[in-house]
Amino acid sequence: MTEKLRTIIVEDEELARNLMKSFLADNEAIELIAECENGFEGVKQINDLKPDLVFLDIQMPKITGFELLELLEHKPQIIFATAYDQYALKAFDYNAADYLLKPYSKDRLDEAIQKVLERIQTEGKESDVAEKVSDFPKDEYLDRVVVKDRHKIHIAPVDAVRYIESMDDYVMIYTTEGRWMKQKTMKYFENALNPKNFVRIHRSYIVKVDEIEEIQQYEKESYIVILHDKTKLKVSKTGYKNLKGVLNF
Amino acid sequence: MDFRHPFIKTPRLAITYIAFWLVLAAVLVLVVVSVGETDFLTALTDRFANVILFGFLGVAIWYVIKFSTLEDNSIGRVILAHVIAATIIVLIWLYIGTVIAKLIDPSQLEEENNYLFTGLYNGYLLYTFNVAFFYAVNYYLAFKEKTKNETKLKALVKEAELHALKSQINPHFLFNSLNSISSLTMTDPGKAQEMVINLSQLMRYSLKHDQSEKVTVQQEIDNNKLYLKIEKVRFGKKLNPVFAVEESCLKAEIPNMILQPLYENAIKYGVYEATETIDVITHCTCDNDKLVVTISNTYDKDVLSKKGEGIGLRNIRDRLQVIYGNPHLLKIQDNQNEFTVTLTIPQNL
Repeated sequence: MTEKLRTIIVEDEELARNLMKSFLADNEAIELIAECENGFEGVKQINDLKPDLVFLDIQMPKITGFELLELLEHKPQIIFATAYDQYALKAFDYNAADYLLKPYSKDRLDEAIQKVLERIQTEGKESDVAEKVSDFPKDEYLDRVVVKDRHKIHIAPVDAVRYIESMDDYVMIYTTEGRWMKQKTMKYFENALNPKNFVRIHRSYIVKVDEIEEIQQYEKESYIVILHDKTKLKVSKTGYKNLKGVLNF
Repeated sequence: MDFRHPFIKTPRLAITYIAFWLVLAAVLVLVVVSVGETDFLTALTDRFANVILFGFLGVAIWYVIKFSTLEDNSIGRVILAHVIAATIIVLIWLYIGTVIAKLIDPSQLEEENNYLFTGLYNGYLLYTFNVAFFYAVNYYLAFKEKTKNETKLKALVKEAELHALKSQINPHFLFNSLNSISSLTMTDPGKAQEMVINLSQLMRYSLKHDQSEKVTVQQEIDNNKLYLKIEKVRFGKKLNPVFAVEESCLKAEIPNMILQPLYENAIKYGVYEATETIDVITHCTCDNDKLVVTISNTYDKDVLSKKGEGIGLRNIRDRLQVIYGNPHLLKIQDNQNEFTVTLTIPQNL
C-alpha cells in the first residue's frame, strides 16, 4: 500500500469520535484529514476535501447520514457507524462499504477498512454511493426534503412541498419557501411521498393534494389542475385516474 | 366443575335452607290447625315431622340439578330426571314418614284412605319447592363465580396493560452509552468506571419496577438524574439539566419510570438536534392532594424532525388512564422554541 486512504469522520459525539480516532491511529492504511461534528460540516468538508473514505454516523443534528449522502458532489467510500441496527438494509441499498454497530471492536473496524481497500482495488476510488437509490423503502415516507443549492443547504418539511416537476435528470421541488433543484427521479419521489398527500398527475408532475384548488376540463379528454396560487399543471389520463382515487370523486 | 355440595362450602346457605324448611313447616302446621282439620299435636308430629324430613332428604336434590342443568340438557331430559328423582325421593319420604308416624302413634294409621294419594301430592309439591330453592342457589353461586372471575380478569388485564405501557430503557441509549464507555476506557478509565456503575444502577431501577408500581418522588428523580448524568457524558455541554424540586414533594408518590420517557424526548428533540446548550428544567411542586411535575426544554425551531406525538407520550397517557382513570393528567405545551410537559399526579388515593 503506497497511498493512504484520506479519511473523514462525521460523528456528533466527541467520545465516539475519540474512540474511532484512537482505533484508526495505528492503522497504516488510514490518513485522517478531518473530523466533523454535524452533517452540514460533513457535506462541506467532503465536497471540499474529496476524501477516499468517510465514517458516517446516521443520527446527527441538522441532517441525518443518509440525507448527507444525497448532498455530496464527491462520492467517497462510506462506512456507517451507528447504534441503530434498523438502518442496515437501507445502508446496503445506498451501497455503503460496511455498517458498524456501536459499540464495535478495533478488529471489526479494521475488517471494514479491509473491505474498502478491496473494493477500491476492483472498482476504483470513486464510489457510486447513493446513486442507485431510486426505490424508497416501502412503508416509510420522507418527512423532510434536503437540498443543496450552491453553498447553502435547505431543509424543508414535506408539508412545505407544493409540487414537483421533472426536468431531465433532475427534479424541481416547489416549496412554500422557494424552488430547489435536486438530482433524483420522479419515481423516487412517487415512492418517498405519502400517497395520501401527494399524487402523480402527469409524467412530469407530482402535486400535493391540499394545494389543488380546482380540476378543469379544457378539451374533450384532458384536464388541468389549478393550484391555490393559480399555477396550472397538465393532468394525464393516468393522472386523472390517480386524482380520482385520492379525492374520491 | 365443582361438585361439592354448596352447603359444605357455604354453611350460611345450609342455615338459610334449614330456616326455609322450618318456616315452611310452621306455615303448613298453622294452616292445617287454623282450617281445623286436626288438633295441634297431630299436626305438629305429622306435618311438621314430615316436612322437616322432606327438607332433610331434599338436600340430595341439589345433585339432580347439578347433573341435569338447563344449559347442558334438553328440557325434556331435565323434566324426566326430576320426575324420576322426585318419585324416588317421595317414595323414600313416605316410607320413612310412615315408619316414624307408627313409632310415635301406632293407632293413628289406616284412618285415612287417601293417605297415599295426599302423601304423593304433598311430596311432589315439596319437591317442587326444593327444586326452586336449589335452582336459585345454583344461579346465585354461578353469578357469584362469574363476578369473581370478572374481577380477577379485570385485574389481570390491568396488570398486563401496565406492563406493556411501562417504559423500557431505549436499547439505543444502552448501545450508545456502551460505546462511550468503550471510548472512555482508553482516555479516562476512572470516568468509564463511574459510568458503568451509573448505568448498572439505572438498569437495576428500571428492571425492579415490575415489583412496585409507585415510588417516591425522591427515588424517581434520583434515577432520572442518573439517566441525565449518563447522557451528559455523551452530549457534554449541550445538555444542561436543572432541577427545582420542593423539599416537601420528595415523599410524594409517583408511578415509577414515568418521567424517563419525558427526559428521553427532551434529549431526542432538544439536545440531539442542537448545536448549542439546551436546558432541561424540572419543576416539582405539591400540595395535599396533588403533585405537579413540569419538565421543559428549549429546542431549535428550525429543526424539522417533529413527527407529532410519539409513542412515549402516548404510553404515559395510557398509563395514567389505567392507574388514575384520567388521561388528561399529562399536558403538553409547545410554543415553537420551548416544549413543556406538565404531569399532575393525584396523591392520597
